[in-house]
Amino acid sequence: MKRIFIKFLTVILVVIVFGNNISLTAVNASPYISYNYDRWGDAVPSQAGYIEKRTVSGDDIGADSFDEPSDIFFDGTDFYIADTGNNRIVGVDGNLENVSVIYEKFKMQDGSFTTLDNPEGVFVSDDIIYIADTQNSRILLVNRECKVITEITKPDSEIYDSSKTFLPERVIADKAGNIYAVLGNITTGCAMFSPQGEFIGFYGSNRVEPTAEAVGNYFRNVFMSDKKKARRKRQVPSGITGFDIKDDFIFTCTASSSVLSDTVKKLNSAGKNIFADRDVSFGDYELKYDTSHYKIPDSSICDIDISENGNINCLDSVTGHIFQYDEDCNLLFIMGTVAEQKGGFKSPSAIESAGENIYVLDSQKNNITVFTETSFGKTVHSAVELYNTGYYAESLDLWYEVLRRDGNYTYAYNGTAFALLRKGDYKNSMKYAKLAGNSELYNKAFKEYRSVFLKENSGKIFTVFIVAVVFMVFLKIRKRGGRRK
Amino acid sequence: MMNFTQKQWLKYAVTHIFEGFEDMRWKKSGSLKTAFCIIVLFFFAEIAHERLYGFQFYATYDRTFNIIPYFIKTIVLFMAWTVGNWSVCTILDGEGTMKNIFIYSAYALVPYILQMYINTVLSHFLVRDEYVFMQMIEITGTLWSAVLIFSAVKAVHQYTVLKTFSAVFLTVVAMFIMLALLILFMALVQQVYIFVSTIYTEIIYRIRV
Repeated sequence: MKRIFIKFLTVILVVIVFGNNISLTAVNASPYISYNYDRWGDAVPSQAGYIEKRTVSGDDIGADSFDEPSDIFFDGTDFYIADTGNNRIVGVDGNLENVSVIYEKFKMQDGSFTTLDNPEGVFVSDDIIYIADTQNSRILLVNRECKVITEITKPDSEIYDSSKTFLPERVIADKAGNIYAVLGNITTGCAMFSPQGEFIGFYGSNRVEPTAEAVGNYFRNVFMSDKKKARRKRQVPSGITGFDIKDDFIFTCTASSSVLSDTVKKLNSAGKNIFADRDVSFGDYELKYDTSHYKIPDSSICDIDISENGNINCLDSVTGHIFQYDEDCNLLFIMGTVAEQKGGFKSPSAIESAGENIYVLDSQKNNITVFTETSFGKTVHSAVELYNTGYYAESLDLWYEVLRRDGNYTYAYNGTAFALLRKGDYKNSMKYAKLAGNSELYNKAFKEYRSVFLKENSGKIFTVFIVAVVFMVFLKIRKRGGRRK
Repeated sequence: MMNFTQKQWLKYAVTHIFEGFEDMRWKKSGSLKTAFCIIVLFFFAEIAHERLYGFQFYATYDRTFNIIPYFIKTIVLFMAWTVGNWSVCTILDGEGTMKNIFIYSAYALVPYILQMYINTVLSHFLVRDEYVFMQMIEITGTLWSAVLIFSAVKAVHQYTVLKTFSAVFLTVVAMFIMLALLILFMALVQQVYIFVSTIYTEIIYRIRV
């Protein structure tokens, strides 16, 4: 008996020790806790969708170390990094292993040579490299042979206030070759240029948030003289901080602690925000008190990236969190933090994605952190992709798998409920809609469930009703008869 | 004539919105026990309405449950109404006693409470498109109770219509004053508590050192 007991104890001990070890290494891998928001909007621990794989510095790839790099771009084969402090653009191969090209000197059309001064943005499309040459106040369009095709300088236009500086920080181009640039200290949106480099106008400006102060000022302005109005502080929207282009849509983000609306926008070609009418929010709902800085940090989304499958990756420069949303703005994963370890950032400046990886550029650590999808992340992504393309029945099994791995994953409950609703399993759909806290979906499922129930049981319900009526009439008659006697 | 039981009186008062309470007063009827039962049912109705509502109408925050807000929303509010009305109407030559005000007001609440229960049950059978039926019931019940309350105040104090209006208005003002006093009192108690606890801490500190 004693022997068996000891054997039993050993087995338990072994399980505890080794089991713990396995889980401990898995947990210790990241310097951050991956979390997600539950249906009440509270942060709950969650399975990691991405895990940091490695960090890449300038020396690792064979170029000299970076100096405050501020933008990274992937054109499908190569990465391009705007190495701001070193006044150069570094091209790296797709695996981030060897430097492929370094652009430093460009030949102007008149034959002279020019260099960059603190370039902050880079974009590549159709073998044209677009460089936001910030301190030189220009945007350069160069070809692979380092020949400048077009140079865009401060526009001489009525729309552009000539007293304002021209400091392009980010640049992108659409399929037609129109160029968009985020300008420092310009709050009226991004500047838009024709493929020839002519200034067309501003595009996609943010709204002024209707705070109590803004509304009050509006009414006060009605009664004010123009002279007095001119001296007052004006209500201006926050300027756009970063953007990315995907198909025909431009996604912008705004890093401002005071702005709650318009933090992330999806603009169509007319400059209209598609997310404007929808009740969506980006970034953290509620930030934790930061014990090392003695304050609650302000969230500020400084860069945005749209991955190939349409997911939106947002980078918060203050907290170092990366938020991934699907194309309908449902939160998928949160990762990253501000830390010294691998997987943490000091001052993240840009985000880029390629395939299953997410790349974050840090302007103080002067390196690139590579995050790669975990198997949980893969399951979620394939479920979301099937779900968003309309293959609800096919996504069902994947949703179940997601829930089996992480029961706190709210979006999976929504997905399951909707897939079950499409399948015709209304009762279970109601159950999952309730777990997801989605009363609208519950309403739909319940409506169907009720109509099926009524159809199946109409005979019984009708019989019960008639019996009840007959019984009531009978009682009334008996009562009356009793009184008469 | 009108030899009703207490239950029948309740039915009579609720269904005869204008003369019901007058007759009740004339017959010196209305029981405190029934009134208490109604208020307790009011309390439970509020909880049921918030907590047991159909999920297709709204997602209840069912993670925590705190009974105090419901208690305040129903019982405390009703008591405040009773006390406020009594104190106002004693000055304004009202004939009602505190007991009668309590009973009549409680009777007047019955349609409102009933509406809450009916809607809570219905919310499990209807979908969002049919919300208009529930809304109808809600509006009917609320208006009915409002008229009854007015009628109750009028009957219990033997007021004219105009005087009843002003009495109801002043009662609401009195309720606000009570709230203000309560807040003042709480602040004072807190100050005293801080004072005492500071002295205690100081003494303990001196003794130790």
